[in-house]
Amino acid sequence: MNPGYELPLDEAAYSFGFLDEYAKREVRRTILKAICIPGYQTPYASREMPMGRGFGTGGLQVTLSLVGPGDTVKVIDQGADDSVNAVNLRKFIELTCPKVDTTEHTRDASLIQSRHRVPEMPLTEAQVLVLQVPYPDPLVVVEPSEARRKVMHGEGDYSRLLTKLYEDIVQFDEITISHRYPTRINGHYVIDPSPIPRYDVPRLHHCPALILLGAGREKKIYAVPPYTRAEPLVFDDVPFRTEDFRDAQGQRRACARCGTRDSFLDELIDDDGNKLWQCSDSDYCNSQLASGQDSTREVAQ
Amino acid sequence: MNESIAMHANPKTSPSIWQAARQQKAFRQLMQAFAYPGRTLPLAEVGEDTTLLLLATLVDGGCRLADPQQQLNQDDLQRLGVTRSASDAADYLLCQGTRPLEAEPRLGTLENPEQGATIVLQVASLAQGSSLTLSGPGIRDRHHLQVSGVDPDWWIRREAWNAHFPLGVDMILVSEEAVIALPRTTTLRYTKGAR
Repeated sequence: MNPGYELPLDEAAYSFGFLDEYAKREVRRTILKAICIPGYQTPYASREMPMGRGFGTGGLQVTLSLVGPGDTVKVIDQGADDSVNAVNLRKFIELTCPKVDTTEHTRDASLIQSRHRVPEMPLTEAQVLVLQVPYPDPLVVVEPSEARRKVMHGEGDYSRLLTKLYEDIVQFDEITISHRYPTRINGHYVIDPSPIPRYDVPRLHHCPALILLGAGREKKIYAVPPYTRAEPLVFDDVPFRTEDFRDAQGQRRACARCGTRDSFLDELIDDDGNKLWQCSDSDYCNSQLASGQDSTREVAQ
Repeated sequence: MNESIAMHANPKTSPSIWQAARQQKAFRQLMQAFAYPGRTLPLAEVGEDTTLLLLATLVDGGCRLADPQQQLNQDDLQRLGVTRSASDAADYLLCQGTRPLEAEPRLGTLENPEQGATIVLQVASLAQGSSLTLSGPGIRDRHHLQVSGVDPDWWIRREAWNAHFPLGVDMILVSEEAVIALPRTTTLRYTKGAR
């Protein structure tokens, strides 16, 4: 090969959003079918991305197929905008999507790609939430064959999954699923809502925003359309419980940083070995802190 | 895509519909339409053909299109690059609302309901005509809309096609400038006998 050869510029450059137009069109067709069949894991040809599978390639392909000039993208990882996964994905979007803005503020974002959390701030109709999914099929714990799982999903047959939940109650007096809680969408398909905590599951129910879930490794896209029923799988006599943030006195714990008592908290251990709790959603924590400072300033004045 | 072909495009429609950036904008409108069934969303801008923009956004060599009423000309079909097929095997069907479909569209299978067809139905107007009341996912309570230029036979057959969820067909109603989506989950009530 000629050592002085250089690729012509238009061949060396990537198209907008990294994916080629045929890939985007396929993802787009899949998204529409996923919305039409709420909760159904719609198969698609997941493309190779310049990052390992498991780092959010499914969510990223959905985001890149949606995004266009004028959009404002927010990327979060476990609620935080500044963790490695979120920063890398955001930088990749900035690199491949010129004229697309990025933000850390939930309120300003038109597209939110998230790993493991639904933002604390209520979503609006003008927003789309894209969740990264590692394992899309909730039935995989009870049935190894995908062909059989597809029939079970089609028939809405979740008896074996319910048996598993029942066995948990018999053995441990509690359903032992902390995250990825199986959730029934519009009364038919049960989805794995990605590893969001139980706290976030009721927030999928009748959400005004469209929620898209992308699993890159498993090559599936599914959706929770806006204003759609999303009900965690439970028994009539054992109600669904979310995380308990009360202390020994029964008081709801507050965030150690901003003091709010209405957010999902992460448990941290400081240098002296003491436990403390802090908001998992960094943007929510910052905005609470900012509004708290505003009100103290007003009081001081 | 196909910018060299687009240079000699159909004079009736602007060549911009073949460009990636335009299709991205169109898709976002279309996705809004599917997320919120019944909402009328503007699609085409001045000089653009809505149906062709919609097809250029969605179809390519990876899917099959049926055009039983021969509404697309040869040039546009070539630009779309889509595989043509019979109505009962197509992923996408292009039909006129005034003429009932003579074949049965694909409804998908229990294992693969996404193989149910998407019907692109051309209607006269999405602002006036007989009233429909919609409910289902994506609709907060109920949604009312008016459509003209659709044979009532379409609604009767849609009900039959979508009777066994998850099997069914999804529809996109297309007027001269806007679209409304009717996913298979949308329940539709209409005044019988109205056109």
